[in-house]
Amino acid sequence: MVRKTLMINPADTVVMLLEDGKKGDTVITPNGEITLLEDIEFAHKVTIVDMKKGESVIKYGEEIGYMLQDLKAGGWIHNHVMGCERGKK
Amino acid sequence: MMKDTFMGYRRADGSVGIRNYLAIIPSVFCANTTVEKIAAQVPGAVAMPHAVGCAQVGLDLELTARTLTAMACHPNVGGVIVISLGCERFDPQEAVEAAKAIGKPLELFVIQKEGGTGATIEKAVEAARRMKAEIDKIERVPCPVSSLFVGTKCGGTDATSGLAANPAVGNMVDRIVAQGGSAILSECNELLGTEHLLAKRAVSKEVADKIYDAIYGIEDVLRSGLDPSLPAKRNHLISRGNFDGGVSSIVEKALGGVHKSGTSPIVDVIEYSVAPEKDKHGLFLMNYESHDGEVVTGMIGCGCQMVVFTTGRGNPTGHPIAPVIKVTGNPATYNHMSDMFDFDASPIITEGKTVEEMGQKLFDMIIRVAEGELTSAEEFGGTELFCVGRRHGYQKKSREQLWAGHDCC
Repeated sequence: MVRKTLMINPADTVVMLLEDGKKGDTVITPNGEITLLEDIEFAHKVTIVDMKKGESVIKYGEEIGYMLQDLKAGGWIHNHVMGCERGKK
Repeated sequence: MMKDTFMGYRRADGSVGIRNYLAIIPSVFCANTTVEKIAAQVPGAVAMPHAVGCAQVGLDLELTARTLTAMACHPNVGGVIVISLGCERFDPQEAVEAAKAIGKPLELFVIQKEGGTGATIEKAVEAARRMKAEIDKIERVPCPVSSLFVGTKCGGTDATSGLAANPAVGNMVDRIVAQGGSAILSECNELLGTEHLLAKRAVSKEVADKIYDAIYGIEDVLRSGLDPSLPAKRNHLISRGNFDGGVSSIVEKALGGVHKSGTSPIVDVIEYSVAPEKDKHGLFLMNYESHDGEVVTGMIGCGCQMVVFTTGRGNPTGHPIAPVIKVTGNPATYNHMSDMFDFDASPIITEGKTVEEMGQKLFDMIIRVAEGELTSAEEFGGTELFCVGRRHGYQKKSREQLWAGHDCC
């Protein structure tokens, strides 16, 4: 099933789900159709590019954090795979 | 057509209120029960109990002094009864003199002088009833929209806040500023990663530098409070609810939160519970962090007559002397607890409504609330957002120290 998403800025590496998504659902992105690799909830983020550990995650056209591990396009971007040092170091 | 006047309360010093309260304020927490018993006997009076006034030093005591004085002098307050214990650090005479200077009716009762709780209550109730009868005679008169001063706040953010609720608030802020009014953005810890965007909007290099000072300064306060010996969940910079709502980092939260300031230039950075300079109007950044009650109280202390509060997760709180307008951008949250909200911005997401349309609708609501329409939190009687800002155990650093080694994320 195709799930609705929103890409806030053309530079973003993520899109935001506008409805709950299930593993195997698809989302349409500028990079083509991407299959969700896991269940992802409303308002959460899906990476639309393959990410490598250490790479910057971009939303609102700005860096919101960096990858703690590799993640394939269609994966769920959240604080279990993304870090941010602002306010800490 | 935009309205350029609304019906408000014109005070003796020329300031404009949108409510007309009799406030009963303790000058130290020891007087809280006395204050509550007085307010209970005077219909329409608001008690303002708090947790401070004792054993404070330095900036911490300064914040208390400024805030309690600002509440007493606030244009939403028609008259004030201050209840002092008598031995507290904050000298209530400061509030007495400030009120006198602007022609605000204020009477002070000191428990240790009056002869205890019972005697204080008896005398204060009589004075409060007399004062209330006088305040009730004050009528609303036409006041310019340019006298409105609106605070903005996020509490219980989710990922819809940055898409719908905050942009709608930002558009409303731009409309208020365009009409000569003012607004405050704050919660500097939740602006980490947006300082370069805000600095570009500063009216001068000096103000841009003050923006960096404020945001890096609060970041340093935040950092100083972390304790790696405690479990990781004690050191998270955003809440469980933020994470559940799809916000993954403090910078992501900030990039959504900053939208509630619209696109107007930033005219100055102001301090907690300190009014802007007389001739300055427009959008201000207030140098403080994001405890909901403390930051809202600080904005009201700066002179805001109301606060617009966005929340994706839902929030029932209110303030004793200022309306707090609750806005959500999350359709499920709105439908699940609609009696807690004043404004639903979710049609931006669900129906493709424009930010401009919702911003205009919110501006119209601001005017109605300014003219007396009650918010959800006022209907429920919520007052828990009255919390006085604190800063203890922190040594302020120089600009050089604060700016050193900054690069995002």
